This record gives sequence, structure tokens and C-alpha cells, in this order.
Amino acid sequence: MSTVLAGSGLVKKYGSTTALAGVDVEVHERDSLAIMGPSGSGKSTLLHTLAGIVRPDDGQVLLRGERIDNLGENKLSALRRKRFGFVFQFGQLLPELPAEENVALPLMLEGMPRREAVARARRWFTPLGLDGLELRRPGQLSGGQAQRVAIARALAGEPDVVFADEPTGALDQRTSTEVVQLLTFATRETGAALVMVTHDADVAAHCDRILQVRDGRISGHSQYTVA
Amino acid sequence: MRSPVLPLTWHLARASGRRGLQSQLLAAGAAAVGSFLLLLMIAAALGAGARAGHTTWRTPDAVSAREATAVQATTTTYVRQGPVTVVNLARLPGRGQTPAPPGLSHFPQQGQVYVSPALAELLHKLPAAQLADRFPVVSSYGTIGAAGLASPDELVAVIGRAPGDAAVSKAAGEQNYYDDGLTERALVSGFSGSKADVFTGSDQGTVLLGVVLLVMPVVVLASAAGRLGAARREQRLAALRLAGATPRQILAMTAFEAAGVGAAGATAGALAYMALLPALAEIPYGVGTWYTGRLWVGLPWLAAVVLTVTALITVSAVTMLRQVATSPLGVAQQANPRRTRAIRLLLFVAVLGYIWATTGDSGQLKPRQLLALLALFYGAFWLFGPWVVDRLGRIVGRRARRPATLLAARRLSDDPRAVWRTVSGLVLAGFVAGFFSVSTLDFDGPSHRDQVGVITANAADARHTATQARTVLRQAGVTATVTVTSEDDYDSLLGGVDGVIAHVSGGQHRIDTGVTALTRLRSGRYPFTQEYVSASDDIVIARVATVSTATLVLSFLVAAASAGLTAAANVLDRRRMYGLLRLAGTPLQVLDGARIRETVIPLAVLAGGTTAMGAFGAMQLNKAAGTTINTSGVIQLVICLAVGTLAMLAAITGSRPLLRKVTEGPAQTAD
Repeated sequence: MSTVLAGSGLVKKYGSTTALAGVDVEVHERDSLAIMGPSGSGKSTLLHTLAGIVRPDDGQVLLRGERIDNLGENKLSALRRKRFGFVFQFGQLLPELPAEENVALPLMLEGMPRREAVARARRWFTPLGLDGLELRRPGQLSGGQAQRVAIARALAGEPDVVFADEPTGALDQRTSTEVVQLLTFATRETGAALVMVTHDADVAAHCDRILQVRDGRISGHSQYTVA
Repeated sequence: MRSPVLPLTWHLARASGRRGLQSQLLAAGAAAVGSFLLLLMIAAALGAGARAGHTTWRTPDAVSAREATAVQATTTTYVRQGPVTVVNLARLPGRGQTPAPPGLSHFPQQGQVYVSPALAELLHKLPAAQLADRFPVVSSYGTIGAAGLASPDELVAVIGRAPGDAAVSKAAGEQNYYDDGLTERALVSGFSGSKADVFTGSDQGTVLLGVVLLVMPVVVLASAAGRLGAARREQRLAALRLAGATPRQILAMTAFEAAGVGAAGATAGALAYMALLPALAEIPYGVGTWYTGRLWVGLPWLAAVVLTVTALITVSAVTMLRQVATSPLGVAQQANPRRTRAIRLLLFVAVLGYIWATTGDSGQLKPRQLLALLALFYGAFWLFGPWVVDRLGRIVGRRARRPATLLAARRLSDDPRAVWRTVSGLVLAGFVAGFFSVSTLDFDGPSHRDQVGVITANAADARHTATQARTVLRQAGVTATVTVTSEDDYDSLLGGVDGVIAHVSGGQHRIDTGVTALTRLRSGRYPFTQEYVSASDDIVIARVATVSTATLVLSFLVAAASAGLTAAANVLDRRRMYGLLRLAGTPLQVLDGARIRETVIPLAVLAGGTTAMGAFGAMQLNKAAGTTINTSGVIQLVICLAVGTLAMLAAITGSRPLLRKVTEGPAQTAD
């Protein structure tokens, strides 16, 4: 499998605190990678650096062989919009928009006509178990349903990589399992790679690989058999 | 057991961090502006009344001949187109003492002349032939104290006369319609009259009209202050509600926090008003600047305003949180769109119908009824506004093609009341603009700007006076054509009265010299000019123009401040969502564009609507008051709206750096 995203020698410091101390990581097509570690270990910084949200002090980030960490803010923003998808713990959905328009928004931002964007967004509702919820607003959805809408939104633009930062952090165990199963399944189906930060070992177990981070360094690497 | 509400509120307020503090400072700032403006309006209304009260002594308080101790003849002469009030007083022989007029230490003796400080300065500044020669020659002038004056800028003279002097004779009294309020003579025994002079009598009413129109935008500002940080507070208190806090505790905590912030801000506004009183007193209105003490509203009013603003902010904050108390999950997750019902439209139409019927054919209404109708109209629009915003949001939402427009439209219909609060200031200011632009009274009477008139007893006297006038004008160096008018000459300065008119060339100083020269004819009255004849109309037009300009400027300032505050508060309240959207690649321009459209769309529709409504309301008012309308106010209206809209957009754009700042870093702490 070819490498989609690679970080090499990544260093990031916040004042005197070293969040990343020379991390190397590769993400392949259809790969799902869980990043785990204790609080303050640097796992979220690693995700943000790979996603072009945080600029590393040293090292490089390559997307399909092209360096992205040195791009300007506008280009990075466009890159995130076009090539990446994001799922956060909560709060990323616009409360005023119905679910289908939340999913369609990234497509509209890319210039797709609204009617087509909404139609394309709706295709995600059945596979993600959201039938009948298209016109509900985020406040009228359960936590698990809202996360599934967020997953649909992250995938709607057919990204190369989906970044998920504690996507199940606000959910109960059962819903967490459902959401992470859907997330890993759907990303694989679209051919996208998944990079997910989690503190939950059960959630991480759904990924192909687990990267353990401690004190800004890779402290362990586990690999599961791809189903 | 001691209630945990107060300590917990204090603890949460302190723990709210820098962003929480920003919201509280913004809220306190808005409360300060609100209380300052309310105090300013009350000061203007009370001050206008107070200074009118200091002019009542000039209107003779007529008594019977048996009771009279003196004769008073008050008249007005003009210099540099400004009025000089002249009070002629003569003691009646063999009668008792007459008390001293206000501002004087004793009743003036024959030949004594007292003048206001501003008139003294003008007498010193202008050549005697232009002003001083209108008064008896004295070695020095006495000074009229503040008790007898409405304003430090007022030009007033009190002259002691002999009982047989022409200036206090019957001929010096009211003779024509244009003498009304300017010239009056009567036998008096004191100065306890209650009728304010024509230059200050309408001031308070005009100010009150402005106050009625301004109150709502100021209330909006205070309410906006109460809602600042609402989302942050809602989330925090919804969490507390979920943790088991009772609705009463939730509301009490909100009330304590809002009241604390509101009281601090309102007190700051009150202190600013006190500190700025001397500067505020320098703002001219009507007869001029103010005596500082007359703009002091007194401690009861001061306390009432601080309490009112605090109460407004508290009620606004508590009302916002009613849903937390009743449905914590609903607000915590922002589940329920705050929709509006069609009953608002029905009520609005009903009020319009009522106003139409009331002002239609029922004859003239009293000023209080007109003010009440205006307030009713205002209130009706307040109900109608959110309904329009809601419908607008749905219509635009169906047709939106761009993400920013879609976001804005959905936000409009999601919480139309909140959007209405943002735009209501300017929308209602548009109403004010429409109202004043159309309602400004327009009297296009004949102009006789270069003429000086002298009334005579009859036609023969007029011919004799004309000869004298030519002589004195020539001696004074004034180039003038002197004509005799008769009862048939309606289209002249004297309006069909026997007399003499001098057509003076050479400008205002020549006219003033001509008036002074013709005073020597001793007809018992001052010669008069166009300003005297049209005084009553000019005063109303000038006062309405001043108040309308002040109301417009303040409305737009308050509206822009409300919009700016609300925009900043929205950014702070929604910063997490904005931050995450931006991380996911949503361009800042889209987020910013949505914010701008959220204001521009309802503004474009509603401001136009209210401007039309304002014009409609003014036309109805004019109809009821039996006056004409000023159709040339359209340009002023367009300029006002354009400037107001730009000011509001600038205020909203002012929060763009804040939006950029709150979205520039990772929304979640990088660990």
C-alpha cells in the first residue's frame, strides 16, 4: 500500500515544554492508525501537526510525497478542506443547520451547487444508520447520532485522510463502539486513511495500528491483522 | 443552612477566565452607555423644563388695576438675527412696593438698565449704533443673575421706566398676531406668572418626543448587555441544572451575576454623566448652552436610572435562561428553534388599523395622545420585527446557494429574536429617520429679510413717520428705501397694518443699525424685522430640527454600539464552533460573510420597511396635527440610512479581529 501521509523528525515545543521530540510516522492508503498516550504525551499535537493545523518546529509532513508543513495559511486551510476530513469530540456541527446541510457544507464550500451537495450528502445517511434524521438539527440528535453526522461530513468530500480527535470521548461505551465501527468501516470503504487520537484502548483496538506516544516520542507500535 | 447560590455565583464568575471577563466587561460597558444616555435624556427633558421655568417672570402676570403696583411691558428686538428680550418696568405712583424680578436684587428704578452677561458682552462688542442705542443711556449696566435667565447665552434686558414712558404705554402691548408670545403688556403686582416665554416654552415637549423615539434603542442596548455571554452562561448553568441545581437556584445565580455586572456598569455610566456635566452643559439647545446645575437630575433620578438599567440587564439575562430552568437538555443542546407565531403579524396589523382609525378623521389630537400613538406604533413594530426576521430566514434559506448565505439564513430562522435585537436599533433608527424627515414642519411664508418695519397709529401718522425715518436712517448712514404701508398691503412685513417699511441694503449689520436708528422714533415699540414676524414658526422648526438631528445621531450611535456588542458577544459565545470549523478548513471569509449577511439581509428588508413606516406614521401625525409635511426630507433620509448602515457594518466588522483571534489556534489543548 502506498504512503498517503508521512511525518518525519517532527519536533514541536510550547515554550519550555516539548510536545513532540522527533516523531516519525507513516499512514498508508485505507490504513487506520490510533494514537494513544497519557494526558500531555503529545498525541493531539501529533494529530494537529499531521493535519497541518500546527506547524512543526522541525521535521516535515508529506502528503502523497508533497511537503505541506511549509505551505501558507490559506493553502493549508484549502488543503484541510479538500484533502482531509475531521471528526472532533463534540461541537463541530452547526446548531442552526439540519443534519443534511451540515454534511453538505464542505461540498458547498468547494463550489458544488447546493442541490447536488445535499443529494450527495444524503447518500451517507443510510450506511451510517441516519435514515430519517436528515432534517433534524444537531440539538435534536443524540450524541451518537451527532457523531455519525460528523463522520458523514468528514467523508462527504472524499478526503485522503480523516483525522478524529477523541471522537468517542463524550459517548457511552456501547455508542462508542458503534461510532468507531462505523468510522473505521466508512473510511476504509471510501479508500481514505484514518488517524485517530483516543485514550480508550477498546476504541483503538478497531484500528489497524496503534501508536503509543509518551513524552513526545513513539513509545510503542502495535499492529493488528486487517480484517 | 446558608444558601450556596451567592458564593457559587461569585466563584463561577471569578473562574470564568479571560474570555468570561471580556464578556462581563462588554456587558458592563453597554450598561454604562445605557445609563449615561438615559441620564442624558432625563437631564435634557428636566433641564428644558427647568429653564423654561426661569422665563415665566417675563410674561406679565396681569392683575386688576386696583391691585397693581407696577406696569410691565415685555417685548423682543433682534440683533444679528438673535432675539433680545426686553422687560420694561415702571412703578405706579402711590402704590405699594413691587418685589424684585428674578435675577435682580431690587425692582429697577427709572433709568436703570440691567442686562444678562451675554447681552453685556454683545453691547461691548457691537457698535452702539447697532445695539446699545436701543436702550436708555446709562453710565453702567446692572447684571441679571442666573435666577432670571434660561441660559448663560440668553440676551435679556430689564429697563426701569417712568410710568408715562411710551415703552410701557398701551401702545407697547400686543397688537397683531405676530406679537403673540413676543410682546405683552399688563398691570402687575409681582412676577409669579406661570407661562414660559416663546423661546423655551416648546423645548421640553420637543425633547420628550426625541426621548420617546430614543428610549427603545437604549433599552435594546441594555438588553443586549444582559445577553452578552449568554451561551457561555447557558452551557454552564445547564450543566449545573443537569447536576441537580433547582430552577430557582439557576435563576438566582443568573440574576446575581447579571445584576452585579449591570449595577457596576450603570454606576460607571452615572459617574460619567456626573463628571461630564460641565461639558454637557456646553452643548447648545434652543436659547443656548445650559447652567450646569439645571442639567443635574438629582439623586432620586440618578438612583432610579442605575436601578432601571440594572433591572433591565437582569431581566434580560433571566428571560434568556428561562428555558434552562424548564428544559435543561433543550438549551444545553440548543434543540429548539426559537420560532415566532403569526399572532405577531395580527397584532401589528391591528395596531396599524387602530392608528389609522384614530388619526384619520377624528380631528386634532393632543400632544400626549400623539406621543402615546407613537409609543404604540413603536411597540407594535417591536413585536412584528422578529416575525419578519423568521420568515425572511426561511425564504432566504430555501433559495440560498452560497454557504455563507445559507448559514446566515438558517441563523435568522433559528433565533429570530436574537437577530432582531442586533438589527432593531438601526431598524428603529430608520423609523426615526423616516418620521422626522417627513414630519419636519415646512412653512414657506413670504420672506422680507431686508426689511425693518415700524407700526403707526394710522395712515397719516405713517406718512409723518416715514419722513422721520428717512432722516434718522440717513443720519445713521443706512442706505434704505422707505415706504408707507396700508391695510391693503398684506404681502408686506407689517401684513396689512398702517406703518412704515425701510428696505435696507448692505447686510445684517446695516439692518441692525437701521433698527437701532428707527428705535429713536419712540413709538413705544421696537421696529421689527422678519425674525420677529416669523418667530413662532421658526422656533418650532428649529427645535424639531435640532432634536431630530440629535435623535438620529444618538439612535445610530446606539444602534451601531448594540450591533457591535452583539457581534462581539456572538463570536465569544460561538468561538468553539467557529474554531473547529476553521480547523476543518472553512475559510474565515465564509464565517465572516455569514455574520455580515446575518445582519445585512434583515437590515435591507426591515430598515426599508421601517423607514416607510416612519414616513407613514409621520404623515398620519401631521394629518392629525393639521400641519403640512416636508417632502424634501427624502435626501436627508437616504443619507441617514446609508451612514447608519455603514456605521453598523463597521461596528460588526470591528469584531473580525476577535473572530480571527479566537479561531487561529487549535480549539482543543494540544497534549
